[in-house]
Amino acid sequence: MKRLTIPLAPIALLPALLGLALFRVYPIVLAVFESLFSTFRGERLFVGFENYILLLTDNGFWQSLWVTLWFNLIINPLQVALALLLALMFVQKVPFIGIFRFLFLIPIGVSLPVAVIIWRIMLLPDGLLNGFLGALGLPPLRFLTSPELALYSIIAIATWKGISYWMIFIIGGLQNISPEIHEAARLEGASSWQRLWLVTLPLLKPTLLFVLVADVTINFLLFAPIFMLTNGGPRNSTNVLMYEAYKSGFVFGDMGRAMAIVVILVALLLVIVGLQFWLLSGRRQGAAS
Amino acid sequence: MNWLRSSQMRKGLIYLALAVSAVVFIMPLWWAIISSLRPNDAIFRDLFPFSPRAFLPEPLTVEAYFGIFERGFGTIIWNTLMVAGLTTAFGLVVNGLAGYAFAVFNFPAKNTILAIVVVSFMLPFEAIAMPLYGVVQQLGWIDNVAALIVPSVANGLAVFLFYQFFRQVPKDYYEAARLEGAGPLRILWSVYVPLSMPTCISAGLMLFIFQWEAFLWPLLAMPAQEFKVIQVGMASFQEQYTTAWNELFGVAVITALIPIVLLLPLQRYYVQGLAGSGLKG
Repeated sequence: MKRLTIPLAPIALLPALLGLALFRVYPIVLAVFESLFSTFRGERLFVGFENYILLLTDNGFWQSLWVTLWFNLIINPLQVALALLLALMFVQKVPFIGIFRFLFLIPIGVSLPVAVIIWRIMLLPDGLLNGFLGALGLPPLRFLTSPELALYSIIAIATWKGISYWMIFIIGGLQNISPEIHEAARLEGASSWQRLWLVTLPLLKPTLLFVLVADVTINFLLFAPIFMLTNGGPRNSTNVLMYEAYKSGFVFGDMGRAMAIVVILVALLLVIVGLQFWLLSGRRQGAAS
Repeated sequence: MNWLRSSQMRKGLIYLALAVSAVVFIMPLWWAIISSLRPNDAIFRDLFPFSPRAFLPEPLTVEAYFGIFERGFGTIIWNTLMVAGLTTAFGLVVNGLAGYAFAVFNFPAKNTILAIVVVSFMLPFEAIAMPLYGVVQQLGWIDNVAALIVPSVANGLAVFLFYQFFRQVPKDYYEAARLEGAGPLRILWSVYVPLSMPTCISAGLMLFIFQWEAFLWPLLAMPAQEFKVIQVGMASFQEQYTTAWNELFGVAVITALIPIVLLLPLQRYYVQGLAGSGLKG
C-alpha cells in the first residue's frame, strides 16, 4: 500500500506491543538473568552458571526430568491419536450424530482444575471407579496413591479433559479435504480403510503436526493436576519439572534454582518442538517427491 | 447382500464407538451433578456393592448449593466473572486495534513485529508464569487485582485472529470511507467491527475462557488469597473441607456450567476461531 504512516498506527499498536513486551518477552529475559543469581542469607549474589551446575549433579533434578520426558512420551501421541479417532467419529454422517457431537464437546467447557476435582473423587479408594471394578469382581486400585499408577491416572484425567479441544483442530483439517478426492478414491475401488490411510491421513499431516506441537507445549508444562492431586508424589513418581520449579521457588524460596529449571524447560521445549517440525515436515516433503 | 451386512455392521460399530465415547465424556460430569444434589452421606452409598442408583439424585436435596454460598463462593464467582469480563473487554479493544494497525497501515519492520507477536503465543503462559511473578513484583502488584487482569490483556493469538480477518476486508471499503472523510478510527468502528462480529466473538470467548480457567497464575499472584478466583478457591476448598463432598461437587458443577452455558450458543464461533488459527497459523 502506498499510504503514508499515519500517527494512529503507533497509537493503535502501542498497548498490545507494550503488554506483550512487558508480560511475555521481558519475563523470559528475567528468567535467564535471575537464574544466574542465588540468595544466600537474604543477600543476592551473582553466581554465574552455578545453579545449572548444581542441577546437573542433583539426583532429584534428573529424576524429575525423566518423569517429565516419560510423561510426555506417553501423553502426547495418546492424545493426538484419540483426538483423531474422535474427530473421525464426529464427522460421520449418521442419524442422531448431533447429540453425540454435543456430548463430545462437553469437556471443553470443563476446566482442568474442575476435571481434576471430579476425577479425584471418582478415583478415591471407595470412589466410583473402584465401585465399577468391584461390580466386575476386581480388587480396588490405588489410582493416585501408588507410585506405579499415579502418573497414568494423571495422564487419563488430562486426556479426558484435553482431547475434545484437539479434536476441533482436526475437524477443521478434515473439512479442508475436498470431498472430490474421497469420491475419486471410492470410484477407484478403495475401501474406507484404504481411504483413511492413503487419502485422509497424508492430507491431514500438517494439521496433526500443528496439534502435536501445540499439545506438547501444553503438556510439557502441565501443573494443576500435579499440584492438586499428588504434590509430585508418591515417591516422586509424578514430580514433573514444572512442579519441581514451583517447589524450588515458592516452597523453598530458591528462585535461582527455580529460574534455572524454567530456562531448561523452555530450552527443552524449543528443541523438542523444533525436532518435531524438522522430522515431520522433512518426511512430508520426502513423501511428496 | 454381503454388502448390506457389512454396511450394517459398519453402522453398528460406529454407534458402539460413539456411545462408548459419549458415556466416557459425560459420566464424570453426570456423576458430579447427581452427587451435588444428594446429601453428603449418600454419595458413596451405592458404590459398594455397585448399584445403578449411584447415577440417580436420590434422595434429592439442594442443601449443597446453600452451603456453597454460605462459604462465600458467591463472591469468588463474582470475582472471577469480573476478572474474566474486564480482560475480555480490554483485550478486544487492545488486540483489535493492533490487528487493525497490522492489517491496514504500513510501517517500518511491520513483518518482523508481526512475527514476534505470533511467536509470543506459541510459548504457553505456564512457561512464563514464574518469571512473570518477578515482573509483577517489581510493579508492586502482588495481591492486587491488576496482576490478574493487565498481563492477560495483550494476547498474540487475538491480535493474529483480528489481523487475519481485517486483512480480508476489501481495501475499497477503506478507500470509500476515506473519501467520505471518515478517520481511521471511525472506519474501524463503523466498517471493520460490524463485519468482524464472528472474530470478535471467538477472540472474546478465547480471552474469557483463558481467564476463567487460569490456575497457576492466580495462585502465584494472589498469595494472601483475600481476592480469590474460582479455580484457586476450589482447590483450597478441596484441601480444607475434604469431607463436604456434595459441596465440592457443587462448586465443580457451577464452575463447569458457566463456560458451558456461554459456549453452547456461541460454540460455532469458538470452533471456527480455533480451527482457523490452527489452519492458517
